[in-house]
Amino acid sequence: MKLSGRQQRHFWNTIQVVLIIAFTLVMLVPIAWIALAAFKQHVDVYQLKLLFTPTLENFVTVFQAPYHLGDKLFNSTVVATATVLIAIPIATCAAYSFSRFDLRGRTALLVLILATQFVPAVVIVLPFFVMFRDLGILDTRLGLVLVNTAIVMPFAIWMIKGFIDGIPIDTEEAALVDGSSRLQVIRNIVLPMAAPGLVTAGIFCFIIAWNEFLFALILTNRDAVTLPVGLALFKAEEGDLWNLLAAAGIIIMVPMFVLALIIRKHFVQGMTMGAVR
Amino acid sequence: MASIELKDVTKRWGDFVGVDNQSLTVNDQEFLVLLGPSGCGKTTTMRMIAGLEDPTRGDILIGDRRVNDDLPKDRDIAMVFQNYGLYPHMSVADNIAYPLKVRGVERSEIPAKVRAAAEQVELLDFLDRKPRALSGGQRQRVALARAIVRTPQVFLMDEPLSNLDAKLRVTMRAELKHLSHRLRITTVYVTHDQIEAMTLADRVAVMQHGRIVQLGTPAEIYNRPETLFVAGFIGSPAMNLVDGAITDGGFRVDDFELLKTTLPARTGLVLGVRPEDIQVVERGTGDFDAPVFAVENTGESVLITVNAGTQRMTAKADRHDTTAIDEVVGLKLDPTHLYYFDRETERRIDS
Repeated sequence: MKLSGRQQRHFWNTIQVVLIIAFTLVMLVPIAWIALAAFKQHVDVYQLKLLFTPTLENFVTVFQAPYHLGDKLFNSTVVATATVLIAIPIATCAAYSFSRFDLRGRTALLVLILATQFVPAVVIVLPFFVMFRDLGILDTRLGLVLVNTAIVMPFAIWMIKGFIDGIPIDTEEAALVDGSSRLQVIRNIVLPMAAPGLVTAGIFCFIIAWNEFLFALILTNRDAVTLPVGLALFKAEEGDLWNLLAAAGIIIMVPMFVLALIIRKHFVQGMTMGAVR
Repeated sequence: MASIELKDVTKRWGDFVGVDNQSLTVNDQEFLVLLGPSGCGKTTTMRMIAGLEDPTRGDILIGDRRVNDDLPKDRDIAMVFQNYGLYPHMSVADNIAYPLKVRGVERSEIPAKVRAAAEQVELLDFLDRKPRALSGGQRQRVALARAIVRTPQVFLMDEPLSNLDAKLRVTMRAELKHLSHRLRITTVYVTHDQIEAMTLADRVAVMQHGRIVQLGTPAEIYNRPETLFVAGFIGSPAMNLVDGAITDGGFRVDDFELLKTTLPARTGLVLGVRPEDIQVVERGTGDFDAPVFAVENTGESVLITVNAGTQRMTAKADRHDTTAIDEVVGLKLDPTHLYYFDRETERRIDS
């Protein structure tokens, strides 16, 4: 049997939809499992049944002794926020220079900045430990902010550079001729036009810092412990407390979901903005 | 009000020469057009005047003041860009007001000035819109209004009409002409469109390979092209340029005699004659006879291309002309509008 062009198109569309659904299921099932477990009692956790008596008990327990998830939540929030507030302005300056000025060795420098990401974190975490111990900033939020800023900077520079590249150079030159200094051009023209990009990059950095695990694990032990490291607490002597782990996992994930939704909106804005022509 | 002067200006990027040791004076209140194909250095020349590009060598003066080391903002100029260069995050009114705001004009005076500028380019109804909600022509008007909102010493326009569709371009051209006539501000205008150059300019500077090859009024450029390049670049349809030689009292393409002449014998010549200076006549009554290769009716006229020996020539005939393909016709060249060029030097030979 030979299919008409229209039937063929229909056929492939169907295949596409089926594959997308299958892929989505594979991705979502673990999250769904966690989401359900968070509302289960300990006895129900290993049962796959969908019908159980839901409880909010777990969310209360994790904030109490000995877990004190509130402290970790506070640490994570402070560290991620401070990282973004420091990284984005610095990255913006760097990105603008890379985008607009014909620096000697510009490409090499850009690649080098990205290359820092190729080094496995495990390799450098020990030197960091030694360095931080000598500086006396082990187990401090300040130390984590420094590390996270270094981690997110390459991402932020590359991302923001992309947004600034998208601003027509004519617009900046027009502002220069109209009477602006270079700083006025950046403040009045570049920053407002790149704003969606800055927000997107900021949220990206926040997510990276929020989820950062390895450095936080090695460089903190009591005062500055963050949420991802805090999760490890639930692997206690009593065995894995999956219901508590799941509740904490939900607390970590929900802000990320919200931010992802915000990014999506800004991302589309960022893509369609430069359309001056 | 100010004149502009370039003194031996060169712009080089590595080995590439953008502008080659060029001098030029733009008189006060003059509308000067830099005309040439892409890559001829016309935009670079303008950008050096604006201060967006630094000359490698030479001096740039605006109103007798050397501005080489001045930032664009200190040169008292206004510029209109090909892509408009509007500020997409600002309303039309804020776009037009920007040069005033950033130069610290009294806040209370700004709205009136913005309205006056907007009125000149018929934008009053659009002041609250964002540029993205405007058509191409309207955006170009915003760019114009932003340029005229204060009275700069010099206007610079970089292909301002080339992003508009053909019809709008003609309309905007007329509006530009009207505006420049009224404002009387020294203007440098860059274009590759010879019609724009002819219609707008007081003087045209035709550029090629980073140099001005001819500078003159539109009529001079059209009627007395100095080089083969200018001859071929100006005019549409383009001037017929026929390789040949003068022997035995006639200009010949190989052995085919195009016309009688009293000029002395000479080889390595190019004869230039514009299509509108060729008349299609009865066989045997013109300078030469030739078979018709193609007939194109453009509506306003009929273009007739003939095989003249080994080369082709096009004549512009009346729109009611009924010549057919393969017919043999006579062609009569206007003897007062013939140009001879030296093949080697490409310069016009004064006869």
